[in-house]
Amino acid sequence: MTGVGYTVPAVLTVVAVCVMELALLRTGLFRRAAYWLSMLIVLGFQVPVDGWLTKLSSPIVIYDDHQTTGLRFPFDIPIEDFLFGFALVTAVLLLWERQRARG
Amino acid sequence: MSDRWQYLLVLAACLAITAPLEMFGPGVYRQWRRVARSVLPVALAFVMWDEIAVAAHVWRYNTTYISGLNVPFRVPIEEVLFFLVIPVCGLLTFNAVSTILDKVGRR
Repeated sequence: MTGVGYTVPAVLTVVAVCVMELALLRTGLFRRAAYWLSMLIVLGFQVPVDGWLTKLSSPIVIYDDHQTTGLRFPFDIPIEDFLFGFALVTAVLLLWERQRARG
Repeated sequence: MSDRWQYLLVLAACLAITAPLEMFGPGVYRQWRRVARSVLPVALAFVMWDEIAVAAHVWRYNTTYISGLNVPFRVPIEEVLFFLVIPVCGLLTFNAVSTILDKVGRR
């Protein structure tokens, strides 16, 4: 469990998305209640969907345990998946918000 | 039914469950150009990450549950669709929540 293959890129991607907003796009998304509430709802749906994809009894996605922290919660979801999901959805919402004024 | 459609069915379920959210405010599908400009650049980056991760054996896909079509190299078509479907679900959620909170705030 070195975490090199998945944990490190997952953390770096989250950092990159946050830097993109704070230094470049400045959409103000992180100050909006609608964003955080939406992310909470997305998280609520990620658990059953991701849980299904990663369940160890019959997985659709199979991870090399040496590339992750090995921490799986809840169900068998590698915790790195939550960073992955956060970065994916947040990056899209940032680009969406950036186009607000231009229509 | 064959297990190889399982991943595709999970994605279809995500689209079906979030579809009614289109009725809120200006919607998401109705602004399809804005959707494309938001989703496609991010999807491209994540597909590239996926390609590298599969090539480096960080993760792989269980061939029992996927259609067997890979796009463009080692990533299953399902995974490419994942990067289109999940962001659209996220946008539909954000659009609905924003519309509702705006209405509550104006009252």
